[in-house]
Amino acid sequence: MRFQDAAKDARAVVYAGVQADPLVARAATLLADASPAQRVLARAVMNGESTAAEPWRAMFPSLFGSAAPAEGSPERDRSEAILDASLAVAARGDQVRSQFRGAIVEAVTECLLARRVGPGAIRRERRILFDGVPAEIHPYDVTVETRGAAEAYDCKWGARGISADVLHQLDDARAHAAGEGARLLPVLVVFDARRSCEVRLARQTAPRTGTRLVTIETLDRLAGRRAEAAS
Amino acid sequence: MTDTPALVERIVAAIERLVALGETIEDEWTYVHDLETVWTARLRAVAAVQAAAASAGPGSSAPSPRDMAELETALDRLAAEADLVTDPHRAIDWLSTLPQATLVALGEAAW
Repeated sequence: MRFQDAAKDARAVVYAGVQADPLVARAATLLADASPAQRVLARAVMNGESTAAEPWRAMFPSLFGSAAPAEGSPERDRSEAILDASLAVAARGDQVRSQFRGAIVEAVTECLLARRVGPGAIRRERRILFDGVPAEIHPYDVTVETRGAAEAYDCKWGARGISADVLHQLDDARAHAAGEGARLLPVLVVFDARRSCEVRLARQTAPRTGTRLVTIETLDRLAGRRAEAAS
Repeated sequence: MTDTPALVERIVAAIERLVALGETIEDEWTYVHDLETVWTARLRAVAAVQAAAASAGPGSSAPSPRDMAELETALDRLAAEADLVTDPHRAIDWLSTLPQATLVALGEAAW
């Protein structure tokens, strides 16, 4: 088993520009330290239609209402910053925002993984090659490349992104690695509720028992932390 | 004052409108209706528990009138936001997002 940078085709070049946009890093940094409720706020705003902040503040009273953390507190400031960044993503327009949302999930994943394995072990847009096996078309969004225990991450904005192709690619990688006597943990990261992911997975026949599912409520596990109680 | 189950039914009605839009994507018909089933059940279960707690009498965890007013505003705004969606693909996104945001407004785990 060996890792290789994905070829830079036209799509990859365009997408690399999105990944390098400062807004992606800004949103990812905020979401890596966000509470579950703040992550749901980001998901709603980046999915939403309203472009002003005030309606969203009213929709999330636990973050901005009378019983929310006081104005000027770190938690309240983070909620405001997440709202501001999310509105900036939504303002990019329908086509572009979907690319930004995907890039943000990848960047959050990288950020949280770095806290567990260190940034030096993490790579982006990598193929995994096995002897005698044709390379997959799609590279893995994020990989952890450590001796003896590698991890391959596919990142999705929503549960609807879970497909048979994705599940097969992840499981095939695990099985090919095992065939070479190597260990590869495939992980599907979805910035959506597990309940919705389970609904999506319920009708999939593709193998998934060897693939770990990380959802919006368990993102912190990427960093080696237990999920906090939702608020 | 409107109680929590009645407020949650406004969200359930908004979910039904999203379903009507999302189910026009033929390949996603089953997924759309499965989402509706599981999230509607979850929302109604939470509403029932909160209503029971609120009616338990003095010393119960009944929300204050101000909390209920904020909750009513929040859920009406969320339903209105869902009603802004006209694209069926976005409607499917909102079928998962709207219940999570509703649960956060209700002070529950969003899943």
